[in-house]
Amino acid sequence: MSEVTQEQITALLCQRLANFTEIETEVSPETNLITHLAIDSVKLLNLVMEIEDQFDISVPLNTLVDVLTVQDLANLIYKIKSLSQ
Amino acid sequence: MSSTIAKLGVPPVQKSNSLSSRIDVVVPTPTVNSSPQKRADFTTLVESLEYAAQGETGYNFYDSRGNLKSVLAYKDLCANSKIIARRLSGLGLARNSRVALIADTTPEFIELFFACRFAGLVPFAMPVPVNLGSRAIYVQQLRGMLESSKASVAVANLDFVEFLNEAVGSLVSSELKWSGTPEQLDLLPEADVVFSPNTPDETAYLQFTSGSTRLPRGVVITERALMTNLRGIVCNGLDVRLGDRCASWLPFYHDMGLVGLVLAPLAAQLSVDYLATRDFAVRPLQWLKLISRNRCTIAFSQPFGLKLCTLRARESDLADLDLSCWRAAGVGAEMIRMDTLKSFAAKFAAAGFDERAFLPCYGLAESTLAVSFPDISRGARSLRVDARTLIEKKIAVRVQAEGRKYNEFVNCGRPLPGHEVRIVDDTDHEVPHMTVGSILVRGGSVMNGYFNNAEETARAIRPDGWLDTGDIGFLFEDDLYITGRRTDVIIVNGRNIRAQDVEELAEQQPEVRAREASAFGISNEDGSTSVVLVVECRLASAVDRQSLINRLQQMVYMAFGVSCLVELVPPHTLPRTSSGKLSRFAARQGFLRRANLEQPTAATTIHTAG
Repeated sequence: MSEVTQEQITALLCQRLANFTEIETEVSPETNLITHLAIDSVKLLNLVMEIEDQFDISVPLNTLVDVLTVQDLANLIYKIKSLSQ
Repeated sequence: MSSTIAKLGVPPVQKSNSLSSRIDVVVPTPTVNSSPQKRADFTTLVESLEYAAQGETGYNFYDSRGNLKSVLAYKDLCANSKIIARRLSGLGLARNSRVALIADTTPEFIELFFACRFAGLVPFAMPVPVNLGSRAIYVQQLRGMLESSKASVAVANLDFVEFLNEAVGSLVSSELKWSGTPEQLDLLPEADVVFSPNTPDETAYLQFTSGSTRLPRGVVITERALMTNLRGIVCNGLDVRLGDRCASWLPFYHDMGLVGLVLAPLAAQLSVDYLATRDFAVRPLQWLKLISRNRCTIAFSQPFGLKLCTLRARESDLADLDLSCWRAAGVGAEMIRMDTLKSFAAKFAAAGFDERAFLPCYGLAESTLAVSFPDISRGARSLRVDARTLIEKKIAVRVQAEGRKYNEFVNCGRPLPGHEVRIVDDTDHEVPHMTVGSILVRGGSVMNGYFNNAEETARAIRPDGWLDTGDIGFLFEDDLYITGRRTDVIIVNGRNIRAQDVEELAEQQPEVRAREASAFGISNEDGSTSVVLVVECRLASAVDRQSLINRLQQMVYMAFGVSCLVELVPPHTLPRTSSGKLSRFAARQGFLRRANLEQPTAATTIHTAG
């Protein structure tokens, strides 16, 4: 998992998020997590847990306040991942 | 009780470069104390701390994997907060000046809180940001609290200080003398002062009641009210005894977290094990593991927290848990549904959880925290009442026959000593038992009012001292049953959302005019609550309408972290009162009618018996 690229993270997130919501929708990097996927607080925490376990990182809550799209989230994970190495 | 914890008495090793005694080889504070237990028998908060400091107990902080991160024994808290108090005193602030603290679950927050009390300052806790994309609204929230409190000092740890700085930078007129991190505060010189003792009538702290963005209200709690409530919680509600130990994930900026699980344990010299709220929310089982491992006896949660545990626990998790030590499982802060408690008990009975530990209670920040408790160790009791009579006559009639539709309400017990509860109708007359009405509370724990807000204070407290809680319920055999909140507050996943705040967000959109948006909560089939926003809209194009809906949903989410149903209706659809004000109650009825949903007025789900 250490050599993961930003593109791989984005692709993985798109794939995970497509299963994550009840809404039948194509998930792309530009997809808005709130308006398109209706990620509520419980789903968000599930997602954070999965991300943390998958990438072996800890996502600080204060960093999520700037996340709106799948791409924002992927960038954040990539940043935390590279800082932790 | 765990003998390993009881025997722990290793002197803490101080880190040389740190003010707080974060310990290198960390061991939790013991459950059994070295000095005799005094149960909240103090007149002020610092007096409680001075006494607790004579013993060995204190606060322990755990990380998301359940490892002990730092320890703050009461004696270290006492010493450290006096040093910080001297630094604060050097700022030359008037007595009772307000100090804003962003309240992450850290030892620094508690040290600062007590430092304020030693220095004669009034602390208050501000929330940490939790929602996706919420930066702008969070900063606006902080600014609202700084303005409303006229704060002189504001402190945030490194994770949150940029939000604080942004909020501080946007203040128009400000009394703020200093803001920064605890580390920056440590660089200030210590003033050579003798602390003047606190008096019972002085303000102990402010408690902000909701995430209101524009007009947050700070509840003023005096030392007397606080100590009265702590005594009630410790002696009557929990009947605290030797061997008690607490565990908590509740946020320090929430009244149940702060008063119930920081100040009450201190007033009885109990040790507490903390898990950060965020870590609990992501991995709720860590809380139960902490209770099991440290043999904790007292732990509180909102129903939402219990649901999270039930939802996330796998069979394999249960084998490692022994919850038989947990004698007081307090539940409060939102409507309690019997189903939630039953599912939790059913799930964790295998792990030794005894459902008689359930302690469903009622309270609100305006009465410090606790109003009523049922008898300890009896578990949650409930009453099934006929749904139709409840809606039509506002009377709770116990269901006798099978097959009748009923609502089930949880018994929240009796008021603490020195407190009275009374149920009144719309004309303010007391109603008989079993009749549903507004819940009023009177007694020593009731707030002085909202800080610097005479108008809201007058709305909440009657001249004869009765506090209007805003909640609705009935009495049966002197026990209190909550049936719902009034329509001005929507509670979702344990969070209080003011309907007015949602409406104001909508009105910030150029397409929405003032007083043309109405927000309220509706119950879903699974017992959860959804926020509904009905907006009068003149837009004709489907694209424009969809764009407005998306924007509204996004704004509500960013502000409150909840999804929201948006309905656009033609102008003049929303019902108004004779004075032109929107009626949320009528708006909700209209929405339910259009959506073809049947719901009781009491905002609870109907069950069918039999």
